[in-house]
Amino acid sequence: MPVVLEAKEVGVQIGATTIVEHANLELAAGQLIAIVGPNGAGKSTFVRALSGIQNATGTIAWNGRQLAEVRGRELALMRAFVPQRALVPPGLTVRDAVTIGRSVHVRPWQRAGDEDRAAVEAAIERVGVAEFADRQLTTLSGGELQRVQVAVALAQDAPVLVADEPTSALDLGATVAIARLLRGLADDGLAVLLVVHDLTLAAAIADRVVVMSDGTTVASGTPREVLTRERISAVWGVEASLEVSEDERTALHVSWLD
Amino acid sequence: MARKSAVVAALLVLLVISFLAAIGFGAVRIPVSNVLSALFGGDSATAVDKIVLDLRLPRAVEAVVVGAALGVAGALLQGALNNQLASPDIVGVTGGAGFGAVLILVLFPAQVALLPIGALIFGLLAAALVFAIAWTGTSRGTVTKLILGGIAIGALFAAGTTAILTAYPDRVPSVLFFIAGGLTSDGWHDLKSVLPYFVVGFVAAVGLIRPLDRLALGDEVAASLGSRPQLIRLAAGIAAALLAAAAASLAGLLAFLGLVVPHLVRMAAGTSNNTYVIPVSALGGATLLLIGDTIARVIAAPTELPVGPFMVLLGVPMFLYLLRKAD
Repeated sequence: MPVVLEAKEVGVQIGATTIVEHANLELAAGQLIAIVGPNGAGKSTFVRALSGIQNATGTIAWNGRQLAEVRGRELALMRAFVPQRALVPPGLTVRDAVTIGRSVHVRPWQRAGDEDRAAVEAAIERVGVAEFADRQLTTLSGGELQRVQVAVALAQDAPVLVADEPTSALDLGATVAIARLLRGLADDGLAVLLVVHDLTLAAAIADRVVVMSDGTTVASGTPREVLTRERISAVWGVEASLEVSEDERTALHVSWLD
Repeated sequence: MARKSAVVAALLVLLVISFLAAIGFGAVRIPVSNVLSALFGGDSATAVDKIVLDLRLPRAVEAVVVGAALGVAGALLQGALNNQLASPDIVGVTGGAGFGAVLILVLFPAQVALLPIGALIFGLLAAALVFAIAWTGTSRGTVTKLILGGIAIGALFAAGTTAILTAYPDRVPSVLFFIAGGLTSDGWHDLKSVLPYFVVGFVAAVGLIRPLDRLALGDEVAASLGSRPQLIRLAAGIAAALLAAAAASLAGLLAFLGLVVPHLVRMAAGTSNNTYVIPVSALGGATLLLIGDTIARVIAAPTELPVGPFMVLLGVPMFLYLLRKAD
């Protein structure tokens, strides 16, 4: 599969504080990469930098082109970013929100065409929110809202989807729904970059896992290779072991009280 | 969809009726048929035609333009700042325009014709100061910094206005009409002189509709869609400042209209989509100011009252009604 994103020695400084340094990543079409790490490890800042939302140093290349050369609409057609917490404004329906996601395909001073409307409906259908497409965003549950955010990004019709902790505030059922959705999108050929805290989720759906610690990428590989007892102990400071069964079920055995 | 269309249809009908009423009512009452024949009847120059074409038509058009400008300015700012309390006050325009008008009336009492330009210049100056504060230093371009900068600069100009009025108490009556907010029947001259500001403001507002819709879902979604949130905010702020300062130069301080009209539109139509709210706020602002100005002109005839208090009288009950109904 072709590489769509290549990042080498990425660094981010905010004021005098270094948030990310020496971070590396390579993402291919149809691949789902999960970025994991403790709070404050720089995961969100790293993916924001890769997405062009946060200024960064180092090499970030989208389809072989330097990020600094790609801006605005062109960048929006290369990747879509699902934020951790999007605003939920009153007076907007699900369809309104997804239509806003599609706006990148509509030229300034032009109106949306049939193709755009079809793309909006397809995105709504894909994430399974068609039954409440005309409801106001303010009436939705956290899980429903998160699926709508993915639909907003899908309407953008970019080959890469970057999602920053989309499951961090969701219950088990809603988390599983998002996990299946993201894995399904990768199986459909989309490249997915996912920031996530839940190691069992990462192990279950990711092709590769990138571990971040203190602003740096410290390991990269398949979940079994990377999420070892030793690494979990070194990075999270917790005695825990990951179990992946043959039917792809995952469990984390944590030593909670010692 | 039906609800949104119904609101637009109702506003269009109201606008046409209130436009004809604005021209028909006054010291001389002119029947609708005569109003229409004066407007569309071709070359004639009866006394009625003169009243219609030289006095009442410019004033009605002014009310439409000023009302539309304030409605759009409010909608732009509320959208740009994701804050429903935003109005032209927030970028300092009201405080600056008030100060400019008072300064002209005190320094050049014989040159009342300079008042619109004084209000315009100081309205824009105040907005420029607010933007300079908000877009320099750390955390530039954030909503909080813009709002706090607006409050500070607004307070500064308001204090300046109060200081001048305290120093020249005999000039207070001549300033009151401007501060309360009111249109005048001065023909086309004033409108023509500030028309370019309105045109630039309205064209920019149309171009900002889609970027503001993106901002509604948050800065990160807007950035994901290739927009630059801080640039959108700055552009919306400048467009709103142009519209509000030009409006203040013609009609004094009517910023209440800018606050309340977008809310009325959102609550009546049940949507906050800027594609709808911005143009319909223009329609709503124009209609509300036209009705208010006609009432203010005829209710105590021959004395003309400032329209500002009537806007509040008209707007607040509608606002409270919709506020109670809104979920």
